[in-house]
Amino acid sequence: MLIKRSSAKPVRKTLSGHLASTITGSGIDRRSFLKGTCTAAGGLAAMEMLPGTVRKAEAGPMQPNVPVELRKNICTHCSVGCTVIAEVQNGVWVGQEPGWESPISQGTHCAKGASVREVVHGERRLKYPLKLVDGTWQRLSWEQAIDEIGDKLMEIRESSGPDSVFWLGSAKFSNEGSYLYRKLAAFWGTNNVDHQARICHSTTVAGVANTWGYGAMTNSYNDIQNSKCLVIVGGNPAEAHPVSMQHMLRGKEINQAPFIVIDPRFTRTAAHATEYVRIRPGTDIPVVWGILWHIFENGWEDKEYIQQRVYGMDQIREEVRRWTPEEVERVSGVPGEQLRRIAQTMVENRPATVIWCMGVTQHSVGTANVRALCVLQLALGNIGVAGGGANIYRGHCNVQGATDFGLDVSTLPSYYGLEEGAWQHWSRVWEVDYDWMVSRFASKKLMETKGIPTTRWFDAVLSDPEQIEQPDRLRAFVCFGHGGNTVTRMPEMVKGLADLDLLVIADPHPTTFASIPERRNGTYLLPACTQFETSGSRTCSNRSMQWGEKIVEPIFESKDDYEIIYRLAAKLGFAEEMFKNIAVEDSHPLPEDILREMNRGCLSTGYTGQSPERLKMHMRYQADFDKVSMRATRGPCEGEYYGLPWPCWGHPELRHPGSPNLYDTSVHVMEGGGTFRARFGVEREGQNLLAEGSYTVGSEIEDGYPEFTMAVLRKLGWEQDLTPEERRVIELIGGENIDDVSWQTDLSMGIIRVALKHGCLPYGNAKARAVAWNLPDPVPIHREPIYSPRPDLISEFPAIPDRRDYRLPQLGQSLQAAVAQRNLQEQFPMVLTSGRLVEYEGGGEETRSNRWLAELQQNMFAEINTEDAQRLGISHGQWVWVHGPEANSRARVRALVTNRIGPGTVFMPFHFSGYWQGESHRQYYPEGTDPIVLGEPCNAVTTYGYDPVTFMQETKVTLCRVEPA
Amino acid sequence: MARMKFLCDSGRCIECNACVTACKNEHEVPWGMNRRRVVTLNDGEVGRERSISIACMHCTAAPCATVCPVGCFYQTADGVVLHDKDLCIGCGYCFYACPFGAPQFPQTTNYGSRGKMDKCTFCSGGPEEDMTPVEYQKYGANRLAEGKLPLCAEMCSTRALMAGDGAVLEDIYRERVVRRGYGTAAVGWETAYGPDGEGNTYEPVHPPVRS
Amino acid sequence: MRRHSHFFLLAPLLVALALLFAMPAAQAQYANEPRPDAPTAPDQVQIYNPDESRLVGSVTIPDQNLAVLVQPEGRDWRSFRRDYLPWIIGGLAIIVAVALLAFFLIRGKIRLHSGLSGRKVLRFNSIDRFAHWTIATSFLVLALTGLILTFGRPLLLPLIGNSAFTALAQAGMAIHNFFSIPFVVGLVLVVALWIKDNIPNRSDVAWVKTMGGMLSKDGGPHVKTGRFNAGQKGMFWSIVLGGLGLAVTGFLLMTPFAFTGIWGMQVIHIIHGVLAALLIAAIIGHIYIGTVGMEGAFDAMGNGQVDENWAREHHAAWYEEQVRKGYADSPPNMAQRPAGE
Repeated sequence: MLIKRSSAKPVRKTLSGHLASTITGSGIDRRSFLKGTCTAAGGLAAMEMLPGTVRKAEAGPMQPNVPVELRKNICTHCSVGCTVIAEVQNGVWVGQEPGWESPISQGTHCAKGASVREVVHGERRLKYPLKLVDGTWQRLSWEQAIDEIGDKLMEIRESSGPDSVFWLGSAKFSNEGSYLYRKLAAFWGTNNVDHQARICHSTTVAGVANTWGYGAMTNSYNDIQNSKCLVIVGGNPAEAHPVSMQHMLRGKEINQAPFIVIDPRFTRTAAHATEYVRIRPGTDIPVVWGILWHIFENGWEDKEYIQQRVYGMDQIREEVRRWTPEEVERVSGVPGEQLRRIAQTMVENRPATVIWCMGVTQHSVGTANVRALCVLQLALGNIGVAGGGANIYRGHCNVQGATDFGLDVSTLPSYYGLEEGAWQHWSRVWEVDYDWMVSRFASKKLMETKGIPTTRWFDAVLSDPEQIEQPDRLRAFVCFGHGGNTVTRMPEMVKGLADLDLLVIADPHPTTFASIPERRNGTYLLPACTQFETSGSRTCSNRSMQWGEKIVEPIFESKDDYEIIYRLAAKLGFAEEMFKNIAVEDSHPLPEDILREMNRGCLSTGYTGQSPERLKMHMRYQADFDKVSMRATRGPCEGEYYGLPWPCWGHPELRHPGSPNLYDTSVHVMEGGGTFRARFGVEREGQNLLAEGSYTVGSEIEDGYPEFTMAVLRKLGWEQDLTPEERRVIELIGGENIDDVSWQTDLSMGIIRVALKHGCLPYGNAKARAVAWNLPDPVPIHREPIYSPRPDLISEFPAIPDRRDYRLPQLGQSLQAAVAQRNLQEQFPMVLTSGRLVEYEGGGEETRSNRWLAELQQNMFAEINTEDAQRLGISHGQWVWVHGPEANSRARVRALVTNRIGPGTVFMPFHFSGYWQGESHRQYYPEGTDPIVLGEPCNAVTTYGYDPVTFMQETKVTLCRVEPA
Repeated sequence: MARMKFLCDSGRCIECNACVTACKNEHEVPWGMNRRRVVTLNDGEVGRERSISIACMHCTAAPCATVCPVGCFYQTADGVVLHDKDLCIGCGYCFYACPFGAPQFPQTTNYGSRGKMDKCTFCSGGPEEDMTPVEYQKYGANRLAEGKLPLCAEMCSTRALMAGDGAVLEDIYRERVVRRGYGTAAVGWETAYGPDGEGNTYEPVHPPVRS
Repeated sequence: MRRHSHFFLLAPLLVALALLFAMPAAQAQYANEPRPDAPTAPDQVQIYNPDESRLVGSVTIPDQNLAVLVQPEGRDWRSFRRDYLPWIIGGLAIIVAVALLAFFLIRGKIRLHSGLSGRKVLRFNSIDRFAHWTIATSFLVLALTGLILTFGRPLLLPLIGNSAFTALAQAGMAIHNFFSIPFVVGLVLVVALWIKDNIPNRSDVAWVKTMGGMLSKDGGPHVKTGRFNAGQKGMFWSIVLGGLGLAVTGFLLMTPFAFTGIWGMQVIHIIHGVLAALLIAAIIGHIYIGTVGMEGAFDAMGNGQVDENWAREHHAAWYEEQVRKGYADSPPNMAQRPAGE
């Protein structure tokens, strides 16, 4: 009774097979050819499991003539920098394996990292250049697209000047791409060039750099394993940086470290907290000062550390005095007793690390928030200590690098600023004439004026040109790799978008910008590939650089950033000057050469020792690095820290190991030690700004010292240590004023080398500034948000007075007063805050197009507390309207009724777009490129409010009203 | 022989869903099928919220195998519960019996069959010859045959989800609990394997013979 | 000055602690005594009692069935499916069959006292018969295919092997699902056609008292029954209600989770199984009485014509009504029995 098997047909067609046939024309099944190579032993050990429990492979590769290549790249999502191991066959990415050897990720991934292969399947990617003609998308060739874009840009340049073009770069660029894009803007002649750092951690960079010298995470993810206490403020690493949680939870477990989470929302991170503090959004400073109040009151501060290494703590003490437990509770709602417990915990469990994210930075007091946390850590002596530090988790995979390489309206690469000296330095690096450089700009004044930031570009489109400090308003917007739903006040943004003459989007996906129906002409979409389809380095949050290897060729007609930038530069007529030192093969600049040029010029951040060769070596010998200290214990990289975290001083040949923890005086500078940077002079109002009696191990100067210049070298008598060649270069640079040549401008790196030789930091040895006198609020003070739910407090804690900066006016106090006067908190009685989901990232176009991720979050939602929901008659899963207080804005979303969020507060994730006030915009995407999941953007209802230092937008606190839809 | 098991440490699980997408990536699991998922318990309750990643637990005396009307299940020498899709009739009984909601079906509503059941294979394929295209198409990758462990556990962001020999897992987990001073029983462990070590001894069930 | 001045105070304590940890015995002690700020709240213990209670959480994916983390009830359902259902179905069927056999042996075929008259009266017209045979065939098919799923694995599979059995089961399942349609159609027809004659009335009490005289060999005093006697009415309502229950639960089983969650589905499945068992047992009785059990009964559904004597004996009231309406001839003399009877 034989019945033939009828179900031998495949249950489902495999996608890789499908992909292979569409791309290479031949069907390949992933596993057909897999080698029996076994990483299980390493894998098991890393998983804290014993090997030998797994059967060895008996079956060999099915078709040995088709080899599997393993290629190593870095995840393109967050800043943790997880290693992605790709299995490639016949040029098709067929599988992904854990990168066990990576000291950072140790084989692990989050939902995004574990699904990056789908990114290169590219079902919903842009496939070829497109332009929008009367509301319909038309395909065109790359040549034609670049031609038309270039002609239009030149026309705008003729009539309105170079500043009428806004160049928006990306934290998704490699370092080389970021640098090249900044250079492109410079050669075009404008400082209107920015990227995502503006909207995520610009206030961190400003706050931290103004406190102790550099704008970066001080320690590393791995170093958190040495912490005795973890304090997470306004951050949700369990969703935003999941892989960092393995280090944090290990620290929590191994050291029995208390895990304190301060956040308005009970996040997935808070679920692992030993102490959770719910605060009212926008009251971070009162809470931090409230903790510090107990520390000062009990004399728990580290007095010796403060005396040696901190300037201005007494002024802080003055301000903190008013933040008694009762006062803190009145303003923030946090019980005084809880803050006392936290203060005591931090004191008893030293070193404590403080970790923060956008809950701290995205406020109209963002910089002040950041500085308050810095001061807290300084008071406890936790900076410059393994296990301590200010661990700022950056957002995107290369937002640290892109910031470092100057994708910013206020600086050239490596934080040189925009002053004449900076331009001269970079003109020397680029080997172009400084005067020619000046001629590219509308004026020398604009060349040295900060540009228009990405949070306000649409204001520069819509405003009266009289109000903008440049010849004309913005008319063209060139956007590389940036979501369109990421800044507040979207209704205004849409108007600005409609008014642009030219919009160019170079991105793997069309982004929200392309799906706005108000624009019907003059939009160009250029398919850029991802970092998996090119090579280059990226800097993780802990300042380690990792080199990513090209996994597959750019799919469809997409091109990498280098080539698109080169083609634009060629069209705009300055490619020759711009690529003088960079080899270009068939319109494709060599990333290694770009990095070498960066190494030559980025002296001030110590981005000089990380040559492409060294970086590739580190990637290759990942296994040699210790998983906690990140130091190689064997092999060719022995003694070096993984990824050569900057500063990595001097020429690569000097073999500086990189600096794992910034400002750590317990280590010799050639071992990665450091001091606080002498960036703000040596004295102020009679007070010494240099360190006192504190110096790095092995320093020949056993006290504070200023940054090194030729004059300092001479004074110390170390001048003769310079080689003749170094001296020749210094003389060439200095000309008449050789004394003025500093470590930052000496392209020979001789001054740096000599300083290091004597155990000194080239940047000097100073105190950290608890008081930053150059900021609007030198001592961080509490200011109520513009849209405050507590108008009764605004007379005591008013917003910053109205002012101007970044070529634009900024409203503060006047708007806050108007809001209070109109009693908006009665019509909009709920506080709205926003945040991230683990499945999506940023604007979300890429991740919402990834079906493995999209499946996990299929609806835009607003979290509403159970009490509020009951009061408003809203049930779980129901549609609701969230109304914003500006521009009659509203968003239709699903209600997620949960106690994660406190009563009176509403939380919305910020990754969604593609719906607008209840209407789907799916039909406006070019065919086949619409993301799988669309939803209302949360920024459709967010409001005005900018940090005075960086113009960071205030997304984390505004008002709203929720109604059943 | 090792007795393969899963263990999810709720003290570590952060609901990052890496296990879920790693599984989808490795086996090309289609939309709507969830071989693995993460469940959050006591959502929003301060101090009580925990997340657990769950899939087929490869139970000792697996209920799915007992209720299957056509007997398509078997348990390998490693203790992995597998099934033969050629024999499965898509009746859905295994889902009713499974304590963990592991069996998945391509059709949610049906008239006739719900389609061939699909579930976690502990990354060890199915009754077809190891590492053949036909095995991959039906059951996904066979990592065990390659000497690797399930990708979900290998990629778990916090090493909450572990896979491997049950005795070893127990040791690791116990050590963790001792070290950190908290954490009680692993969720589902007893349901799947019975109390204390009971599930370490079992009789492998041979795959059904297809004539 | 030291940065951590109290470090020295703590140092001896730390050394002591370190020593403590070095001792293996201390580890266990340590595990029992976590530091006060470690999140070992007793409520955690409450969470983890999977053996005793189900665990339901939340998931972000739309399939809310998957929010159930652990449902130990699955094991209960398994034991129903494995240990009880086959015995309920098989046991009931066997009991009924044995009882009928015994009845047949003791009582024998129920014959007509007056023998066959040879004259026919129309009892069920073609529509009636169509309805009956629709529901009858589909029920038989449903029962048979259902039994394959229930008993096939232990009984059939060892005989025919996995592949063949899967093919059979697969076909059986499809047939089972598709025959639910004619079954429901038949059910609706049956209800529409016969419900008015199946409303219980006073005469049924008398019929039940004597069990329609079936128990006595001589037939006993026949109660004057209408179109259907109480036994038939019972059968009617069993089929209507049981069939309805089977149809509804069957429909729910075919649309899994559309209306209920996992526990609902388990209950529905149990109801379906138990109803099927009861109805199968009932139908065995029905078939018996309609065929070998009673002389002349099969004709009613065979060609629709019953013998006048059969009608008079079993459904006197109905027969009289047929006569009155002119659908049947007036009763002939009882003595006119055809030869040979």
